[in-house]
Amino acid sequence: MGAMTVQVEGLSRRYGNIRALDGVDLTLERGITGLLGPNGAGKTTLLSVLATINEPDAGQVSVFGLNPKDRAERVEIRRRLGYLPQELGYHRHFTVAAFLDYVAILKEIVDRRQRAQEVARVLAAVGMERLGRRKIRTLSGGFRQRLAIAQALLGRPELLILDEPTAGLDTEQRLRFRELLSNLPGDPVIVLSTHQADDIAAICPRVVVVLEGRIHFAGTPAALAETAKGHVWTAERRDERAHMSWRDGDNRWRHIGDRRPADSETAVPTVEDGYLLLSHATGTR
Amino acid sequence: MSRIGARAVVKLAQIEAGQLARSILVLAGLGFGGLLVWVFANHDQPVWWNGGWQIGYGQVVISLTVLIAAHLATARAHRDGLAELYDSFPSSAGQRTLAHLIGVLGAVPACLVLIGAVIGFFDLHSVIGTPDLAALAGGVLLVLAAGAIGVAIGSRFPHPLAGVLGAFVWFVPFSQSNRWSGAITWLFPWVEPPQLKDLPGPLSGYPPAAAHAVELAALAVLAGVVALALTAPARRQRIALGAGAAAALTAIVVACAVQCQPIPSAKLNHLMTEVATTGSAQGCTTSAQVHYCLYPEFDSLLASLQAPVDGVLAHLPVQPVPALTIAQTSELTLDNPLDDPTLTHGHSTQQVAMWIAQLQSAPANLPSSSAIYVDLGSWPARPQLADARFDLALGAAEWAVGLPTSTGLAARPVQCVPLNQAREAIAIWLAAQATHLPPAHFQGGNNGRLIGYSLAQVDGTPVITWVYPGEEASYLASPGPQPTAAGYLLAQAMTRLAPARVTTVLAESWDSWTSGRATDAQLAAALGIKMPAVPSGLVGPLGNPITLQPGTVPPQPACTP
Repeated sequence: MGAMTVQVEGLSRRYGNIRALDGVDLTLERGITGLLGPNGAGKTTLLSVLATINEPDAGQVSVFGLNPKDRAERVEIRRRLGYLPQELGYHRHFTVAAFLDYVAILKEIVDRRQRAQEVARVLAAVGMERLGRRKIRTLSGGFRQRLAIAQALLGRPELLILDEPTAGLDTEQRLRFRELLSNLPGDPVIVLSTHQADDIAAICPRVVVVLEGRIHFAGTPAALAETAKGHVWTAERRDERAHMSWRDGDNRWRHIGDRRPADSETAVPTVEDGYLLLSHATGTR
Repeated sequence: MSRIGARAVVKLAQIEAGQLARSILVLAGLGFGGLLVWVFANHDQPVWWNGGWQIGYGQVVISLTVLIAAHLATARAHRDGLAELYDSFPSSAGQRTLAHLIGVLGAVPACLVLIGAVIGFFDLHSVIGTPDLAALAGGVLLVLAAGAIGVAIGSRFPHPLAGVLGAFVWFVPFSQSNRWSGAITWLFPWVEPPQLKDLPGPLSGYPPAAAHAVELAALAVLAGVVALALTAPARRQRIALGAGAAAALTAIVVACAVQCQPIPSAKLNHLMTEVATTGSAQGCTTSAQVHYCLYPEFDSLLASLQAPVDGVLAHLPVQPVPALTIAQTSELTLDNPLDDPTLTHGHSTQQVAMWIAQLQSAPANLPSSSAIYVDLGSWPARPQLADARFDLALGAAEWAVGLPTSTGLAARPVQCVPLNQAREAIAIWLAAQATHLPPAHFQGGNNGRLIGYSLAQVDGTPVITWVYPGEEASYLASPGPQPTAAGYLLAQAMTRLAPARVTTVLAESWDSWTSGRATDAQLAAALGIKMPAVPSGLVGPLGNPITLQPGTVPPQPACTP
């Protein structure tokens, strides 16, 4: 399979009458892939299928050549997996180190010394090396999110699935997170679901836009931005015909639309512009 | 399960066991369980054939908290919003459940601490017999079964109240077991048969401890199988679990069938003979013309019985005739012989009636002036020992002064009252001298020691009687006469005199003083003291005022000379 390490073909998943995924074809390579889409687009369902905790109604998934439908191969995928669900709770009465130690055992890191080293490594990676003895209930929301990221990093996973990992992080923490992901050793496959388009632009060489259960774009962030070329303008006044308009930092109106507003200047499109235009084109905004 | 998966299970189980062992709930259960055993076992001298079952009640309390704690631990991932994350790990839900089940072993230290503490407590109180390992193991297995049930509930119902509800349901059989009789009682998770402490020694099969331990172990396995079945969906695993469940159910059925077997007639015949014909089973030791007859298991009781009797003998100017016999007797012979159906279940009514008749012919059921019967299993632990020794010393002193020592119980006779008989005060004085109790020890009132005054009717006349230390506790199976308040007050006045002076006066005409014809006033005059008057406003053992109202109490005879 070469560089193609995760492959999805014709993936569909329904919840009652709701079609969460509808014939998704996707190939994930080593490196970071950003997953963009509005709430309810199917991102979390897609990630949970990749994490082997959700079975699709139809379609095929191959992770490192392993089929998650086979029990033994599913366990093997899980041994290579790091997963951060969208809404993660905490064992409040555990200490930080005890929680990570517990998760490390669940990840079958059974050697005590190796486990201790691994816990120390991930704590250092998220900047919590001094907080190992703290009860989780005493941590702030930001630190809890860092702890959630830390547990996903345990065992040096080859496939790292992060569902909105920067939710709850402040600007500095987000920048640290970008740094952390960029420096992960072993060149793992990382799938990052986020609402933060600037996160995607900053660290993802590849972006996938999911809308209404389908993949509507897969390419580089620059290519996504390029889709909005000729559709983004700035002007002194608001244009009612624009799909979306907002004041930018220069107190000028930024318009995204199909018609150029009067007295406007063409702007350089961003990933966000591309995503918004795509969303509008599919009727999800 | 892969080798690394098995190692992960062991590691997880270690963590879960450690958490359970340190759980506040389990520690609280240990505290309350210990308190419960203390309440049960604090009064009487402990005997091991009953003690293991008393400890079990402490384990019942621990089992309730272990069930809740195991449930909370098992449901932790769901409760804390981590179920989805846990599902992404190579360790499966079945493996995690298995770890929780093994982790229930973390409750064992609490069980062992309880057992160890009670053993220490029992040793301090001169426990009789040797521990019944099957009963002790049964208590531990009870806790493990509850923990496994907690895991099973947690595997399916993660809500915290599900564990509490489960503990409540687990508690129901304990609270309702007294509604049943016969062998079915054994099938309840834990029961202590009411007449177990009345046995002169352990009786194999009463209760059927080994079979009950097997039942509880199988129950633990069954609960574990259910827990695993709820979380291990693979078909191959389910087949193995089905086999495990079948084996556990079979073990439960077999264990229940064994428990329902009646105790063999030969064993019960032997027991009835031991209890009814005490001479066949008891070993007797003679010291200063007093025979002490004890069941073999109770040899260590001898010194405790001898001390107060020797104290009485030391103050006697004349050795009484005939010799005194102090023997143990079982409550099995008393009012309602064999009223515990678990002892005789499976035997014909005719056979049980024959045993009852045999028991009713026991010596303790007959009146006597030369025998004192110590109630087996009622000899107290240290806090009440002074009262029991006074009770026995008074019995010995009554023998010395010619009063009846045992009323007998077969025909429900009433105690005689030594009304205005000097020998009564002498007996009380002798008992007080023998036990060296301070005057304050006889202080009555509502102080929880049930000492005070009561009312009797002798020959149509109301008489205020004295409820002496230990009387209400029935340390002696069949008491002697009912002392009067006048006799007690005279004896109390005598204790203020030098003992040698009293002994000299008594020795001068011992036969006269103990004839039953010498009066309290005559004795007071001989001693040169004023006869104390019975004051008004006396109160009963519970603090109730005593009023002289003839006809309100049943008549009692005066003790004959």
